[in-house]
Amino acid sequence: MRLEMGHIYIKDIQFASESKIEDGILYVSEEAVKAVALEDEKIKSVSLDIAKPGESVRITPVKDVIEPRVKVEGRGGIFPGVIAKVDTVGEGKTYALKGMAVVTAGKIVGFQEGIIDMTGPGADYTPFSKTLNLVMVCEPVDGIKQHDYEAAVRFAGFRVATYIGELARELTPDETKVYETCTIKEGMEKYPDLPRVAYVQMLQSQGLLHDTYVYGVDAKKIVPTILSPTEVMDGAIVSGNCVSACDKNPTYVHLNNPVVHDLFEQHGKTLNFVCHIITNENVYLADKMRSSDWTAKLCKMLDLDGVIVSQEGFGNPDTDLIMNCKKIEAEGVKTVIITDEYAGRDGKSQSLADADPAADAVVTGGNANQVIILPKLDKVIGTLDYVTKIAGASEETLREDGSLEVELQVLTGATNETGFNKLSAR
Amino acid sequence: MNGYMIITNNPMVRDKLGETHNVVYQEISYEDILKDVRDRIHEGHTLLSHPLSGSVKPNETPYKSIMVSEKKGAVDAQGLAIIENAIQACGKFVFRSDKYKPEVYGDFQLIDLTLIESGITSADTQMWSEH
Amino acid sequence: MAKLRVVHYINQFFAQIGGEEKADYPAEIRVGEVVGPGMALTQNFGEEAEIVATIVCGDSYFNENLEKAKADILAMVKEQNPDVFVAGPAFNAGRYGVACGTIAAAVQEELGIPAVTGMYVENPGADMFKSQVYIVSTKNSAAGMRDAVKKLAPLAVKIGKGEPIGASAEEGYIPNGVRVNFFEKERGSQRAVKMLLKKLADKPYETEYPMPDFDKVDPNPAVKDLAHAKIALVTSGGIVPKGNPDHIESSSASHYGEYDITGVMDLTEETYETAHGGYDPVYANEDSDRVLPVDVLRDMEKEGIIGELHHLFYTTTGNGTAVASSKAFAAEFSQKLKADGVDAVILTST
Repeated sequence: MRLEMGHIYIKDIQFASESKIEDGILYVSEEAVKAVALEDEKIKSVSLDIAKPGESVRITPVKDVIEPRVKVEGRGGIFPGVIAKVDTVGEGKTYALKGMAVVTAGKIVGFQEGIIDMTGPGADYTPFSKTLNLVMVCEPVDGIKQHDYEAAVRFAGFRVATYIGELARELTPDETKVYETCTIKEGMEKYPDLPRVAYVQMLQSQGLLHDTYVYGVDAKKIVPTILSPTEVMDGAIVSGNCVSACDKNPTYVHLNNPVVHDLFEQHGKTLNFVCHIITNENVYLADKMRSSDWTAKLCKMLDLDGVIVSQEGFGNPDTDLIMNCKKIEAEGVKTVIITDEYAGRDGKSQSLADADPAADAVVTGGNANQVIILPKLDKVIGTLDYVTKIAGASEETLREDGSLEVELQVLTGATNETGFNKLSAR
Repeated sequence: MNGYMIITNNPMVRDKLGETHNVVYQEISYEDILKDVRDRIHEGHTLLSHPLSGSVKPNETPYKSIMVSEKKGAVDAQGLAIIENAIQACGKFVFRSDKYKPEVYGDFQLIDLTLIESGITSADTQMWSEH
Repeated sequence: MAKLRVVHYINQFFAQIGGEEKADYPAEIRVGEVVGPGMALTQNFGEEAEIVATIVCGDSYFNENLEKAKADILAMVKEQNPDVFVAGPAFNAGRYGVACGTIAAAVQEELGIPAVTGMYVENPGADMFKSQVYIVSTKNSAAGMRDAVKKLAPLAVKIGKGEPIGASAEEGYIPNGVRVNFFEKERGSQRAVKMLLKKLADKPYETEYPMPDFDKVDPNPAVKDLAHAKIALVTSGGIVPKGNPDHIESSSASHYGEYDITGVMDLTEETYETAHGGYDPVYANEDSDRVLPVDVLRDMEKEGIIGELHHLFYTTTGNGTAVASSKAFAAEFSQKLKADGVDAVILTST
């Protein structure tokens, strides 16, 4: 599959009477965006705001972060099975608006979380302090169930991102990158001497606010399968989770999956990037055994030499991670796993809830229990009401001077387990 | 009834599932639920759902529901390792389950309910030997 | 700002007094002197710190007169009231490493003065003290001095000033079990790809999170002829003759006991008890057979199911006892068991 990614760099976002992109500036009509968000009757109101890197702004509670994209050539559309009709994506031509994101916020449950600070110490940890953010805070109609509200905010974010992405359809990209993978046979013939490598991605799949969707399918209900690595660039995988925001993959991370991109960097040079294998992290133990058996089986059937396995979340997924690692290694396929750690505030506890000697090559996104003081910022988009209830926070979180004492857990994307950041630990 | 039972301290699980499922409800802590399940595994029950389901950590949410088999057999060594690791993990997180505003507890209960329901959905389509 | 005051500890070899033949050199302090590796340290301290005194002690002297040497050196350090204490570096010299670790930990613990040392990762002192004091990771010989002091000096300054200490990978100390966050130069996915390429090429790579230590022992094959086998009992459940004659500690045991059960058919409340402090002892004290099943094995002996019960049993308390100590106990009594012709052991724990 061959996908041409056209990058359009966004230098600024401004509200205007008409939505358009001109000279790298995204002009947004509030009215038009609101209309798109309010297409769903479950959303009562939406307020829009713009947060720029370096501003004294805190966004919370963040639900999802999405990079606007538009499919300009080839099969299907962005977010297949969710926004676009179901069709296999990952080939042709896609444009992405770089340097910006659509951020959805809204209180779905009372202990909701996810903080993006645009400045200060928190900004060093969340990757979304570096993007120009169009933030939409969605209020639901009265009496709505949490499930319905979650779905409504999720879809509203994708609709708005798609609307923004469409503005780029007729533009000329600032930069173009080509991502191309071979079929199995082609790859073997073309790169007979290169190690065959795949990416095994574990998807959060446990329940409300703990779900992920693949072409619109709830990832709990999938068995491990194979994607072309370019499919995620068109939104084949989207996020439905945000609890314990530090190590959950917002849709932005799926679209820009760093393992996919860094394996492509080496494709044809030092390795042959064969495919992207996805699996889940269900609650039911028999599901874990089946899924890990299958990932190992797929690795074997594809004659892989090595894989990178990425995790999403804590605790329950530690068991999937170790099962995957152990079984894949047992097939003679070498693994590197990416995780993050919960080593306690003092860093002295066992970092993972499972372990095995086979996991001898680990990359870590850092200790999520590390305490950080977030100073009071001038403006809050969303509400601080819930900050005190988020994972890694408590009623005592808000200190007298208005600063927050929290664990890294609360910062969106801070200890991402796809290797999105530079944070690590030893 | 279904071949499995749900050990829980979540009143919402008791109320929603109690009539159709074998629910063992006890007013004990999150950690004590894990220990109760550990004891049952020692007695020969098989662990069916992951004790650290969900991303809200032990000591952050007060609620936990776990599925074990109704039948007893040989000790489930893997389940035992998982539950022991889970109990150990409790110590890592600062206790704040009692520090939330009252309205939040219903949401914690709901999340725990959806987590265990996802396990039930799996279990009810897989009536094989483990339970 | 005034320079930090440093007291430096070295052995007789680095003080150029002599080698092994001078290892019994007693502790002495040389106030105002910078000796041996102290020169290199001083260079690296620059304007930040200065060595105000050097303590020299022979390795044998230190280890053979541990309590006295420790007390003497602590008094010398206290007298100088330094901001930071530096020992070594000891490289791969085992007794020197243990001395550096011991005295650095004691200075920190008992005088409240921050301390730092340096040695090769395989120096026994490293494993013993890495969780108590920062130990800079050095090469395995004094040829690595330049490199060692380059890390040791800045870390000593940081510790002396009470500044936050970064991750082991940044500061160069041997990982001490405390996980510390820091920012790498490359993002995680790039590090993962590089690590995988090295692993695929069978080249060395360093995992960022070493799994907890596993010590898996494959079980021996089943005993074929139980009826003629000599069986011994070993326990970490702390069963001892009443009164605990060898004073086995209730936790963190420093030794094990060997007791003769010739003619003992049953462990009773009057004759045996547990020394273990990690579980409710009531039922073990009532009937120690519950932990060390002498009665049942005597029955089996009588019924001819087993050949015989070995007349000695070995016992310690597993409660908080260091893995290294347990290994050392077992290595020793296993030899005795082998010499006594024991075919199999039943190991009970609590």
